Amino acid sequence: MTTELTANGKPFVHHHGAHCETAVTSALFGNQGLDVSEPMIFGIGSGIFFGYLPMVKLVHLQVTAFRNKPGSVFRKAAKRLGANFVIKTYRDPQKGMDELRQVLKAGHIVGLATNLYWLPYVSERHRHNFGGHNIIVLRETEAGFRISDPTFDHPMDCSADGLERARFVPGPMNPRGFMYYTKSVQPHPDLRQACIKGMKNSCGLMLRIPLPIFGVRGMRFLAKKIIKSPDKLGFQEACRSLAGTVRWVEETGTGGAGFRYMYAAFMQEAAELFGSDELARLSRDMTAIGDTWREFSVTAARIIKQRDKEAETFAKAGGLILKCADREEAFFKELQKVVKKLEA
Amino acid sequence: MKVSEVPQEVTYYEGERRACYALNDEGRYVVVPSIGWSIEEVVNGQAVAELAAQLEDTRQAVVAGLKSPLCYHMERRQMIPEILALTAGIARFRVKRHLRPDIFNKLNPSVLNRYARALAVSLEELQTVPHNKLKRKVTIIHDHRSNRRR
Repeated sequence: MTTELTANGKPFVHHHGAHCETAVTSALFGNQGLDVSEPMIFGIGSGIFFGYLPMVKLVHLQVTAFRNKPGSVFRKAAKRLGANFVIKTYRDPQKGMDELRQVLKAGHIVGLATNLYWLPYVSERHRHNFGGHNIIVLRETEAGFRISDPTFDHPMDCSADGLERARFVPGPMNPRGFMYYTKSVQPHPDLRQACIKGMKNSCGLMLRIPLPIFGVRGMRFLAKKIIKSPDKLGFQEACRSLAGTVRWVEETGTGGAGFRYMYAAFMQEAAELFGSDELARLSRDMTAIGDTWREFSVTAARIIKQRDKEAETFAKAGGLILKCADREEAFFKELQKVVKKLEA
Repeated sequence: MKVSEVPQEVTYYEGERRACYALNDEGRYVVVPSIGWSIEEVVNGQAVAELAAQLEDTRQAVVAGLKSPLCYHMERRQMIPEILALTAGIARFRVKRHLRPDIFNKLNPSVLNRYARALAVSLEELQTVPHNKLKRKVTIIHDHRSNRRR
């Protein structure tokens, strides 16, 4: 936690967060005096999800999403908390940068979507060509911009050229200079109502989408694919796609176990808000599900390293995902029942 | 995951730390910074090594005269012809043609300039490839906890 100054001299507290989008949204609310934690934003914005998209490829690997599509958590959370945001995209980079400077001078802090590959301060091995990384710009400095990237534990400096490129470079999920800042924030939003909406929406997303690649059914689909993969693709190729999956579980700023721990943290906060023992119990269930996802990661890494070949097999890795699917199905069915009893 | 179980195994983020959610002693979720997990290092290391190997193949193909240097620089920036076409503002089929060395060598400076700007390299760099394999700065320091079984 570090305190920084914004363009008009107001203090801004930089919090270390697990995921870029939720942490940025939380910080934008916090700067307006409304204290909503990162897990709370994640829960209210119905962030938790599962989707296995074999037809969409990023850097030659299929997408396994553990969260809803980029941008939706921010939009849903803003709507449910009754906040007004100015949201803009640009065709002309020059215009986009000029408007950013103007808005900063007016004393706002600004959220931006950027391409992770071109941000100058990201280390070489974490650079992916992915255009949905969210950051906050605090103020302009002589050398460029002062940036609060919540996935780092301290604010960063970024050159103006680097930022312009990161905002406007075409690529998968072209950000097109996506920029957002608060217009007005409701000082006392109905948190309970917002939580109920978020939870109900999440249950629907996990259980009800009638396609076999989303939600609980998506997990089973992925599990079956992993079990069959060494026969179908050969050991090397199967390891590659397995490693890709583990990167989606752990590496994409998930706070551990594909956002499952973050959701457990949300359940815990909600349990206190409603004074509900059932939600507290569900939080513990979610923690256990997260532990199973982590077990999957460990097994996968051992398969790749070829340690203990007898015990660590693709069948075991797939089996762990099937276990996760069963437990998450039970979890969200239970949550559906509990939510009905909650009163706003 | 408990706070004591948050992996602190490899300095894999090159000095930076990543936030993890974990339960503290009172059973409350808190954010704990982690310096890295060996499991992540395995999967990320595999991906990084794969990209590096592919890049080295392309470099040798360029040296052998089978591909143009543009191909090398495109792959170095993790791009594919479609994305490079959008970034440089040059039609996709032309970009694909320019991956052939005979055609690339005949390009006029204005087109080369557009590629150089899109790939953030200088004109001289764009027309050559390095003599040696590109070395990536990867520092991994294992500490005493890395031997512990989890």
